[in-house]
Amino acid sequence: MAVMRINIGPVHPSTHGVLRLVVDVDGDMIKRVEPHIGFLHRGVEKLMETRMYMQSPSYLEKLDYISPLSWDELYVASVEKALGAEVKQDAQVARVVMLEFQRIANHLLWLGTFCNDMGNLFTIFMWAFRERSKVLKFLEETTGGRMFYVNIRVGGLNRPLPANFADEAHGLCDYLEEKIAGYGDLIEKSSIFMERTKGVGRLSKADAVAYGAAGPVLRASGIEEDARKSKPYYIYDKIDFIVPTGYRGDTYDRYKVRYIEMQQSIKIIRQALGMLKGNDVVGAPIRLIGPQAKPDTVLLSRELPKGEGIVYMVPDKQRPYRISLRSPAFINLSLLPKLAEGSKFADLFPIFGSLDIVLGEVDR
Amino acid sequence: MKTCTNLKSRGYDYLKKITAVDYVDHLEAVYIIYNTLGKKEEVLRVKLDAEKPKVETVIGVYPAADWYEREMSEMFGIEILKRKSKRLLLEEWNGAIAPFRKSYTWGTDYKKLE
Repeated sequence: MAVMRINIGPVHPSTHGVLRLVVDVDGDMIKRVEPHIGFLHRGVEKLMETRMYMQSPSYLEKLDYISPLSWDELYVASVEKALGAEVKQDAQVARVVMLEFQRIANHLLWLGTFCNDMGNLFTIFMWAFRERSKVLKFLEETTGGRMFYVNIRVGGLNRPLPANFADEAHGLCDYLEEKIAGYGDLIEKSSIFMERTKGVGRLSKADAVAYGAAGPVLRASGIEEDARKSKPYYIYDKIDFIVPTGYRGDTYDRYKVRYIEMQQSIKIIRQALGMLKGNDVVGAPIRLIGPQAKPDTVLLSRELPKGEGIVYMVPDKQRPYRISLRSPAFINLSLLPKLAEGSKFADLFPIFGSLDIVLGEVDR
Repeated sequence: MKTCTNLKSRGYDYLKKITAVDYVDHLEAVYIIYNTLGKKEEVLRVKLDAEKPKVETVIGVYPAADWYEREMSEMFGIEILKRKSKRLLLEEWNGAIAPFRKSYTWGTDYKKLE
């Protein structure tokens, strides 16, 4: 049978942002996949060279608009490193709490849309969104913004924590723990879900390392690599949590790793809240950031919900001379041809969905 | 390339990022390479000529380099030697200018540069 070329897109396929895929199929089997990106390219790295340090966080939040706080924190932390600024103890704890809630919100959205594609139509989607909106509401009460926070400041946060921060967080943890535990049954007892994910899109341990898979995709292939453990920052070294890994490296493992990560995040939040002593969290005002002793380069990594994000910055006096961002979604998308070639056409979207990609972050 | 092969034999098996910096009088290609077992990170900085920057591909050692090299060559006009696929990352233009170089001025119409 002759090879047929199918063009998919540019559309929003099972994810966020615009992507075009060119797929060569022989009957039902995929011969070749070529992702075409760049529809959301805004040249953020170049734009940031023209802006003062603290004008940039709002750009970064629009990269990965599912988990904006994580990029915000990564960038401000790299500015802190360039300036040699210390972060207040309470602010460190508050940041960890908010980052872990952000991770849960990201994974919930991923889970909802992923189950939608897997034939679990809208049940999990509605549930996950119900829980996610509670998390967003909590973050809104803390930061003032529902989706885009711009709340991290050099040395701390933008505003003091609300009086009932710890109680609300504990209440939300109890709520999420109960609800997330309830998902497992519905998902894993669904034979459609299991048939469509088990053994689909396998990525071996050696390939995951060689092709540079990031975050949950890397861990699902059996590599225990998490920046929170390997390069602990803030209070993560004092917290007891596990890094879940898979062993088959298939779509199911990538689901399971994210599922356990949500439960681990709840565990982290509870321990972190125990370390919260007061409410001394407000950082430096924006205008105070100016010329300081500047290092040659700044290299900083953080475990974002989608994988390890890195900022490589050449700082200058008022603005970065050059800033380069390592996006975990970018490298995970480049894995798609490797994963999808040789599988069935209908498996393309389970595989694609399991990578958890935001095109805003891929294109930058 | 030789350094990369050397590093890989010492257990640095995971390429995290390739990027470049334009220092006007010269360019610099930056490779962030990681050891997944030893949990150690190395940063390689390669000095390149500003006029005709070129660097050898590391795709044979680190397959992850594919998209990073494409991005670097497109944004900085760096020629990647010994590379099979020359396709750009963002297709909708001809790659006539290097937008991330400091010599780029805002608002240049790339269509007129063909």
